[in-house]
Amino acid sequence: MKRGFWLVLSLCSVPNLLAAQFGIYQHGSVVRMHMGDCMLGHRGMMVAFGPPSIPVQDSCPEYTLVSPNVVYVIVGKTSNQLIPLAEVIDFRLQKNELAVRLDDAKRETKFEIKEMFVRSDWDRIQRHIDAQMKAAEVHDAER
Amino acid sequence: MTSNFVKAAIRCNRRSRLLVLLFLVATLSPPDRLFALPSNNTGESVDVTYHSTVSEVRLVFFATDEHNHNVQQLQKDDFAIVDDERVIREFRSFTRSASVNLDVVVMIDSSESVLPHLQQVTADVSQLIFQSPWSSGDLVSVISFSGMEAHLLCAENCRTSFRADQIVPKGGATPLLDALDLATTLLIRHRQPDVWPVILLFSDGDDTISKISFRHVREKILASGTQIYAIDAGNSRQLSNGTATLQRLAGDSGGRYMGLSDGPVKVLNNVMDDLHSGLLVTYTLPKSSSEFHSIRILPTHNLNLQFRCRCGYYSRRVGSARQEDGP
Repeated sequence: MKRGFWLVLSLCSVPNLLAAQFGIYQHGSVVRMHMGDCMLGHRGMMVAFGPPSIPVQDSCPEYTLVSPNVVYVIVGKTSNQLIPLAEVIDFRLQKNELAVRLDDAKRETKFEIKEMFVRSDWDRIQRHIDAQMKAAEVHDAER
Repeated sequence: MTSNFVKAAIRCNRRSRLLVLLFLVATLSPPDRLFALPSNNTGESVDVTYHSTVSEVRLVFFATDEHNHNVQQLQKDDFAIVDDERVIREFRSFTRSASVNLDVVVMIDSSESVLPHLQQVTADVSQLIFQSPWSSGDLVSVISFSGMEAHLLCAENCRTSFRADQIVPKGGATPLLDALDLATTLLIRHRQPDVWPVILLFSDGDDTISKISFRHVREKILASGTQIYAIDAGNSRQLSNGTATLQRLAGDSGGRYMGLSDGPVKVLNNVMDDLHSGLLVTYTLPKSSSEFHSIRILPTHNLNLQFRCRCGYYSRRVGSARQEDGP
């Protein structure tokens, strides 16, 4: 019985250990975070296609994760699913989800991917937004 | 007649000479000498202070571990601030707020609904004022409110001038929001960057007569950076509108909500622990399209850390420069 337990436990931890040892993690940095609507996906078919019910006022954390080539907008599955906001975090893509490695806890937490941008496009959009805000500031100062 | 003419000519000549001399001094002397700017041997100005407008956010916050104990050894890279959705990890300064002076306004509700507890409140306030370990630069004021208005019992110097018999059990209505407005105005009036404004509010939270709205007061509190410690003088175990008001005021301002039934020692210890364990961080005001910046502090490594601070602040324009409200 005990052996079986240890066997199951070691099998469960193998993917994470392999991921860490073979360096399949990508690196990125969270630059934005806010509490937004939870994504419909994880609430299941019943909510999506079932009879109308009272809407649940729930909010989930939404993060903008910038990696060297791609920018991901990811959404947590519950309101308290947090990512440590370290300068650099490790993550990997797994079955349409993004698994973030929690350094101190030695485990992963999975997020749904809401949007993806090519990094160069995202940078261009950010420059445009910055320029617009600067122009608005100058305009306000002159008024 | 002739001699008068000669004298006038000489006087005129002297004046013109004086003007020429002044002109020469003005043009030939280095500007630093003229305007009394000190200079070293190399001709460079030294010890000159330049003033400029700095857009900086000052934020007092508290960190606790999974056992709800204050974290003593928190480092600059243990947390990040989410300011209006932007993640901020670069800070201008990070210090303990124990080095910051306090500007405290103690507010005492002496209206009808709190009369049964007023004696205990008065005793707690006296203990707080006379037995707390204040720093020499700390200011303490006391306001009592009931009926139609709030009364300032003593301003700034209550550590020496406050007397318990000043709190008269008047009864009547509860102008809580009007009194909060007065307390915040008082704190704004002598606001300084290195002074932390705090309100200790002893009330049941049931406003019955104020002219000012909750929204107005909340905005003013957030704009002034004041933290509210609400001590519920009603029945804190029963959820009422008053309790909800006190909890919201405390939560939004980054303070704490406590019940008077917790006992004076526990309440005072909690307040004083907080006032001495607060952390002060400053950072550059991030660009934003809105005037209100929501704030949240999150851990960078250890997800067991919990952070408490005000829920946001207002940035506003002063002249051509932006100035934020803080600390």
